[in-house]
Formats: sequence, C-alpha cells, structure tokens
Amino acid sequence: MIGPLSDLGRARDETGEVVAVEALEGGMVEITARLPRLATTARPGEFAQLRAWAGVDPLLRRPFSVAWTAGELCSFVLEAVGAGTRLLVALRPGDPLQALGPLGNGFQLDPAPGRAVIVSGGLGCAPFPLLVRELRRGGCAEVIVMSGAATASRLYPAERFRRGDDGVRVVEATDDGTRGRQGLVTELVAGVCDEATAVYACGPNPMLAALAQTLQRLSHPPRRAEVSLEAPMGCGFGTCLGCALPAAGSGWFLCCRRGPVMEVSQVDWPGLLALPPAHVA
Amino acid sequence: MTLPDLSVDLGRGLVLPNPVGLASGTAGYGFELRELIDLDRLGALFTKGTTLHPREGNPPPRVAEVRGGMLNAIGLNNPGVEHVASAYAPEFSRWSIPVVVNVAGGNVEDYLECLDRLERAEGLAGYELNISCPNIANGLDFGRDPSAAGRLVAAARARTGRHLMVKLSPNVTDIAAVARAVEEAGADSVSAVNTYVGMKIHRGIRAPVLPGRGTGGLSGPVIKPLALAAVAQVRQAVRIPVVGVGGIADAGDALEFLIAGADAVQVGTATFVNPAASLEILDGLTEIATRAGVRRLGELRGPDRPGVPPAGIEPASTG
Repeated sequence: MIGPLSDLGRARDETGEVVAVEALEGGMVEITARLPRLATTARPGEFAQLRAWAGVDPLLRRPFSVAWTAGELCSFVLEAVGAGTRLLVALRPGDPLQALGPLGNGFQLDPAPGRAVIVSGGLGCAPFPLLVRELRRGGCAEVIVMSGAATASRLYPAERFRRGDDGVRVVEATDDGTRGRQGLVTELVAGVCDEATAVYACGPNPMLAALAQTLQRLSHPPRRAEVSLEAPMGCGFGTCLGCALPAAGSGWFLCCRRGPVMEVSQVDWPGLLALPPAHVA
Repeated sequence: MTLPDLSVDLGRGLVLPNPVGLASGTAGYGFELRELIDLDRLGALFTKGTTLHPREGNPPPRVAEVRGGMLNAIGLNNPGVEHVASAYAPEFSRWSIPVVVNVAGGNVEDYLECLDRLERAEGLAGYELNISCPNIANGLDFGRDPSAAGRLVAAARARTGRHLMVKLSPNVTDIAAVARAVEEAGADSVSAVNTYVGMKIHRGIRAPVLPGRGTGGLSGPVIKPLALAAVAQVRQAVRIPVVGVGGIADAGDALEFLIAGADAVQVGTATFVNPAASLEILDGLTEIATRAGVRRLGELRGPDRPGVPPAGIEPASTG
C-alpha cells in the first residue's frame, strides 16, 4: 500500500544568500545558504527545488535533500553531474540561491526506534546528517551509519554524519577496499538488524535493491525500512506527473509526492532496476 | 488611477476575470497549486486531460529537459471522469477560479461519454477538448484531420450548452484549416497550441531518453516563436476567441500573444519552474495595462499610431 501524499502546506519559495561552499573529496560539494523558512520547517528526508540562475537554460529547478539545518542556515550535498548542478557547485558566498520547499515525504521518526541503521551509498549521504541529529533528539539511543562508496575518496566524511555527536557510530566500506571493509555496505546490515531496528537508506538504485533483498531474507526483519529515491522531476510538487517510479504490485507513484522516502515494500525493485538511465541533472 | 478591466468574455457564459489561465497538464486539478499560491486570483484553470477511464500513464522516464524547454510523455495519467465529476467538481464549485475540464479520448464515443458524465456535475465553467495529445495512440488523429475534428466537435456541441473550447495541435500541415473546421462545427473558442512533437537523444545509450517511440511533447520558452506564429495564423482563420499558449514565461511574453491575436493566455511549463509564475504574469500584465492607460485589455493589442507602441510598453522583447 502506497503511503500518503506529502504536505504542501509548509512549502514556500524563498531566496537566500549562499554563506559557504565546501568542496569535499571526490567531487562532492556542501552548499550552505541562509534560508530561514526552509531551515526551520524541513524535516529529515524532505527536499527543496533549487535554482541559482536566471534565464531558460537550464530551465527546471533541481531537487536536493535538505542535508543539515542550523538556525537560519540550510545545507545541501551535491556534485556536478549536469548543467544545473555545475552552476550550483560554482556558487560563491554572497550569491543568491532560490529554494522551494520543504517538499516530499521524509523519513518516519515516530515512534523513535531503539536502534537506527542508516545505509548510505556515495552521494546518497545527502539526507542523513539531519536524520542522524533528529533521531538522536527523538531519543534513539543507538545510531549506526553504514557508509559505502566505490572508493575512499567517494565516502562522505564520517565526521559530517556525526557533526559532533560521539554517540553515533560510522562504519565504512568501499568496493575497492581503499578504506574500511572491502565489499558492499549492504552486506554489513544483516548483522545489526533485529525487530527493534529501523533501517533508513539512500544511494544508487542497485544498492537499494540489494538492501531490499537482504532485508527480505532476514529471520528478524527490522520494524521499519525506508529508502529515499530519486527521479527526473519537472516541478517537485505533483502537477507535472513526470517523476513516476514503479510501485510494488502495479502502477506508478510520484517520487515528489508519495516519496522521495518510501517503505521498502512499496517499491517494485526489479521494475526500478529495469528503468533506462535518466538524463543527468 | 482606476485599474483597467482585464476580464475576457470567451462566449457562451465563460467570462474569465482576467486573461491569465493555467494550461492543461501543468496544474493537475488545482489541488497542489492551491496549497502554494492564491489560485483564485487567476483567470481560469484548465485541468489535466481527463479520460473516460482512469489512466496510470506511461512508464518512466516521463520528462526530459532540453535547451530552453522540456519534453514530456506523461500518457494522460488521470483519475478518470467519474472521479473528476464526483470528487473534484464539488470542490471546484467552492472556488472562485473558473475551472475548465480538459477532455481527451481515443474515439468520439469516449469524448461524448466523458462529456455526458461531466454534464451532470456542477462547478464546471466549460470544456477544453484535447484533440491533440501527442502521447497516446490515435491521440493525434482528430487534431490532424479537419473533417474528423469537425465531426467530433459537432457531436460534442450537441451534448452540452457549456462553453466548448478546442485545443489545437501544432503538429499539422494546416492549423488554420482545423481551426476553421472546429469553428464551423460549433466550438466557442480555440486554444493554441498544444506541445510540439520532439525527441531527446541519450548519447551514452545511443537511444532516445523517453521510452516507447522516444518522442514527447515539447514545451517551454523554446516553443514561443512557433506558438506565436500558430496563434497569428489561427487568429486570421476564425472569428471565435483564441487562447494563446506556448512558452509564456513572463508578462512580456503574454503581451506578445495578445498582440499576435490571442484574447487570453495559458501559462504552462513556467509554473513548474515557479509555481507563482502565472500570478506574476497577471500582475505584470496589469501593470503594463495600467501604465499604458488602457481601459480594456483588448486595447493593448494595437498601437496608438502605426509603428508607435503606447507609452509603457517595451517595443520588443529580447526573448
């Protein structure tokens, strides 16, 4: 069964000033901007539609998870993969950034799980610093981040998941063994799951599909397992109907209104993996 | 200074409070945008194309950005006419924005059954017949063939006393001939134009980005000059009102469509970029009309003297 439509009532279009653009290893960039309204209303897993250019090329905004909030500040983690993201990573402090949000359904934090296992693949780290903080604020005693990437330079820095909270464990894995355990991050999940666990994941579709399969085989599946998905988006608020993804059973769901966070069981994983490569943002 | 009268009488009871509407397929049935903007200030809402039966739509990817525009192949994803008539229409009757239901179908009987169901619902300001959706099989046939379009409109005309607008396809050899045919068959107005058939190629996979035939409907600023030419052609061909649509992104664009012969406009893809685009265009048009000192919208169309635009109007856009 597909979940509820997201609440659009909190979304506002606001323009703020970029205050920091930090280049991380491996091409990832963290952009922080003064967006007071978004910073105070965004919940973990929700996203904003960003635009930092005039004119019609690129035309559409680009969707990004809210990675972090602090007072009036909001951060996003991205990398340059296309025309829009190239302009975003080239922003400098003082530049204007337009953000429509918060949009979409975020992660379920209520009731707080006894243990949270966060599975992050490469740039899939984007929604997790904020999720980690809100889980801890909500009383989750044990937060474990399983951070995976193809190679060491593609790992989001462990400290950026923790942001000063030493109670958060970060376990790393790389495909080539250049840091942490060699292998897929999803292989680490089975060992830490029980009925009191909630699993939250974001990353490439093959990683998420492998995770879904792993979870299905567990004798003690987690009480909750959610994934944050992405799709090419026209509007981000449900009117263009462009961001359809395959739903378990049959049919499609709109990533921007039913997602981007979905229960693992709501997604047609073979269908998702069979999709042709989307154009880059 | 009194505000100019921006209302537009499109005939048969459809009077728009102002000339700026939301184009079909870019505003759903209004419920999402209602959460984001003051929808009731706008001239009209043209709903998502509505079919006899619910449609899940096409497989993804359904949208692809191109330079200055976007392609879509949504496939008329809609909840079906029964849901629109029974669940949505009662909501529409509580709104002050006129709601025009866009009706689509694969054959004449589908359209007529749709209209019959909608006729039993209150709260609808009229219909916009989509004879030109490029994303379903047979969707283009009515739009391409003047006599087929005429037969469809004549049959629809016999079923309703409500305003009947026909949305024209630009993917035809002679748009004027189709416009004349639907006028003769009893259409109250036409909207021009629907999206242009386009394609985006993914160089990596050596194939189109969009699935199926690989084509989609091209919209956005890139089609504005094409749409303006179509509106001017249609204006010459018919006496009924023309609603201009295609790449309108600001008030200057909207003014250009009025000058080309449109009586009102629809804002489409611009809403995806900025949900408040239509309101900003309305405010901009109001300012242009006020500064030009006109009493009615139609006066914006002609210059005071040949070759000299009225005061307050930019002589040409750069776009």
